[in-house]
Amino acid sequence: MRPPLVGQRVPRVNDHGPLHGTGRYVDDIELPDMVHAAIVRSPVAHGQLTSFDAGVQGAGVTVLGPDQLRSHIRGDLPVLWTLGDQQQHATPVVDEHLRYVGQPVGVVIADSCYLAEDAIEAVELGIDELDPVVGLAEATAADSPLLYPELGSNVLATFEAGDTEAHTDAVFAGADRVFHTTLRIGRVHGLAIEARGIVAVPEPRGKLTIYTSTQTPHAVRDSVCEVLGLAQSAVRVIAPDVGGGFGLKDHIYEDEVMVAIAALERGRPVKWIEDRFESLLATTHARDEMHEVDVAVDDDGTLKGLRVRARRNVGARLAVFGGGPLFTALGVAPGPYRWEAVQCVGQLVATNTMSTGAYRGFGQTQAAFIRERAVDLVAAELGHDPVELRARNMIAPDELPYQMRTMIQFDNGDYEAALRRASALISEGPPPPDDGRARGVGYCSYVQMAGIGPSTLNELIGLSIGGFESATVRVEPDGSVRVATGVSPHGQGLETTIPQLVADELGVDLETIELIHGDTDTTPYSAYGTAASRSLAVGGGATVVATQRLADKIKTVAAEMLEASAADIELSDDRAKVVGTDVGVTIGEVARRAWQGFRLPEGTEPGLVASYSYDPLSATFSYATHACRVAVDTGTGEVRVEDYVVVHDCGKIVNPTIVEGQIHGGVAQGLGAALMEEVFYDDQGQPLSSTMLDYHVPASASMPDIRIEHMEIPSPFTPGGMKGMGEGGTNGAYAAVVNAVCAALPGVDWTELTTPLSPSRIWEAFHGQS
Amino acid sequence: MNERAVRLTVNGTDRDVIVEPRVLLSDTLRHQLGLTGTHVGCEQGACGACTVIIDGRAQRSCLVLTVQASDTSIETIEGVASDGVDHVVQVAMHEQHGLQCGFCTPGIVMSLVAAHRAGIDGATAKHEVLDGHLCRCTGYVNIRAAIDAAWEAAGGGR
Ligand code: FES
Ligand code: FES
Repeated sequence: MRPPLVGQRVPRVNDHGPLHGTGRYVDDIELPDMVHAAIVRSPVAHGQLTSFDAGVQGAGVTVLGPDQLRSHIRGDLPVLWTLGDQQQHATPVVDEHLRYVGQPVGVVIADSCYLAEDAIEAVELGIDELDPVVGLAEATAADSPLLYPELGSNVLATFEAGDTEAHTDAVFAGADRVFHTTLRIGRVHGLAIEARGIVAVPEPRGKLTIYTSTQTPHAVRDSVCEVLGLAQSAVRVIAPDVGGGFGLKDHIYEDEVMVAIAALERGRPVKWIEDRFESLLATTHARDEMHEVDVAVDDDGTLKGLRVRARRNVGARLAVFGGGPLFTALGVAPGPYRWEAVQCVGQLVATNTMSTGAYRGFGQTQAAFIRERAVDLVAAELGHDPVELRARNMIAPDELPYQMRTMIQFDNGDYEAALRRASALISEGPPPPDDGRARGVGYCSYVQMAGIGPSTLNELIGLSIGGFESATVRVEPDGSVRVATGVSPHGQGLETTIPQLVADELGVDLETIELIHGDTDTTPYSAYGTAASRSLAVGGGATVVATQRLADKIKTVAAEMLEASAADIELSDDRAKVVGTDVGVTIGEVARRAWQGFRLPEGTEPGLVASYSYDPLSATFSYATHACRVAVDTGTGEVRVEDYVVVHDCGKIVNPTIVEGQIHGGVAQGLGAALMEEVFYDDQGQPLSSTMLDYHVPASASMPDIRIEHMEIPSPFTPGGMKGMGEGGTNGAYAAVVNAVCAALPGVDWTELTTPLSPSRIWEAFHGQS
Repeated sequence: MNERAVRLTVNGTDRDVIVEPRVLLSDTLRHQLGLTGTHVGCEQGACGACTVIIDGRAQRSCLVLTVQASDTSIETIEGVASDGVDHVVQVAMHEQHGLQCGFCTPGIVMSLVAAHRAGIDGATAKHEVLDGHLCRCTGYVNIRAAIDAAWEAAGGGR
């Protein structure tokens, strides 16, 4: 009997494409008669579009402006999350009120993308410019220009989490000391190396097929149907190979809808591939938040109260998940510590910039950052060791399950063990060279809400989609296995890990299992696709239960064939066998019988297929402590991250190699946001970071090797025990790296801090000290 | 519109194409010759995803006009494995989990294959060649492990 595959370092099954040029990403799709689109965009940050003139165009060019587009439009794009007093619940595809540079206002179609881009040159836009507003502070000033005059304010929503003001005041009054910090979290871009793209194909009988680089094909379909007034049964959305998502590709964008309209209008397939300039302008940005944080603490280092007042620059309009990232940040802000009071207020502020939306971590990166930065400030002020201060306040294993003051309940784990081990590992690291650089060690301990659900909770918190995932597992008549999942992998390795789960339950070889994903016609419904660290926790959970049900059926049919009792049948080595004997039949023989429908046990349906929709009993909570050592050149402000350790628990680990890969990539994104990544606008709302040479993401030289230790405490909820691991690396790295820089320069007053800590910011902070 | 005939030798086969002078080599390879394994991540020369080997040297095909590549010999990701045998870099990238979404991968493989053939040592490959590429998924840790493995497998490089 082969050992279980779950827990093994099984090599990925889908590496062949990119390594040999046989992958199929959206721009690789060529169809007969296909034409190419380019998008007409607003050149101004704020204005009113008064005219749209297609200009003189050559043969074969079609230009669709606002009026032609609108003739196809029956609805708006949804905003799925409603928070506090929020009044915006949808955004129009076409809007003559121009609110950011890059806002799409029309589409051009021609025989090649070169010709389509040429044709854009002839399009004339008439615009009455309005005063733009770019920054958070300006947008909330009394005399600010308004993006939505009808709302009377640029504040689109205010919401709260945690304790009452009165209770929090009382806790603060009873504490020995109160510390304050102002944390400005820079605007970042997820910057998947494959930008967005879509091929829209009109089909007979008014149907539409869409290939698009998306994390969430079902949600794309739902939105397209809503906007174009098409039946969901008439639209098929396919995610081919997808070159990274990170939250950017969690919905359909206005420009992509315009391409779909162009396909319907022209009656031909239309392809549009976003270029990098457009991507930096008009694919959702993230974060851009200002947090005012107060911590009440006793002199002995006991944390008592946490108060957070946060504002998020949501850009020109609410993204598909609205203020979800800030709401989530506030919900998990308390982290792994006991507090007597936690009070959070969040505000969403509109400005004339691109929307900020989901990005790996979905607010939980910011939550870890503000808390862990504040905890380090407290430790420094009180003269406590930052590890001991954390340990003293951590929720102990025997206190779990534990309800935070924001009402979210943690499941299980040992937070202090992760902290202690990370601390030991970083101090065992190679000694730093004596090179005159300033050195510091930084920590971040976080608990991440993953595997989000159940559906009833989503409804309660204003999120209008359910929290379940579904799977269908089918043994074909020859014994090979197809697993259809609603989650939609694009680098996470689910093509390997989901079959690992199935292989163990059915006792079959991995090679016989094929994962079907990313196609609304062939996969079960999923409102999320792959996002929010939930694919293996929730999608995998659904797969485990569906497979167990199928295994039961195999045993029932095999028992009839073997004249044994189903309870005595075990599945292993591609066979159904009577336990303790050599008597058995192959899975293929069972499958053939089941699909023939011959001599099945009484009450057994023909066929060999099982489906299950898993609505989680609770969210799951992965956690970790990250620790790193940095070297700062105080002469230049340059930072090198020299050593990095992660001790984490993401529940049951299906494939350690893949988990480690997720951590590596997440750490790179957290490190990038800490040190170098920043989207800039000038005060007129013109983007200043519009190439990959201006928007810096980490290259290899910036990334240390990472020492990872796994703790493995299975989730008490998920079938299979997984807790989710997609975002943890980012959640830990951002705060750990910033804390390490701050620790390296203890003479600097860090109570006001802006990220990224670029060389110029560090240099200024260091040389402005004293 | 002012088109030119250009001969390219691609993966050992002569290919004649007619292109406008402004057409990028990356577009000709992908959309005229159907070699979509070469990826385009920026067209700004920054990401390296579009890297191919031109007359033995790794170059960014988004920074080369097709007409400039006239009469050169070009190798793309489709041509790296010979007779069904993968190059040690391909093997190592798979075994060390050096790719996730795979979008940056072809460019990185082409740069490393060129470096490996040129006898560049592993440390330089790791610290200089790889640094010319951007990957948003892997954090580079396992790509560096793949470089170690590939150079070790070949006895320190040929
Ligand atoms: S596509 Fe050529 S360098 Fe990015
Ligand atoms: S593997 Fe996704 S960008 Fe490198």
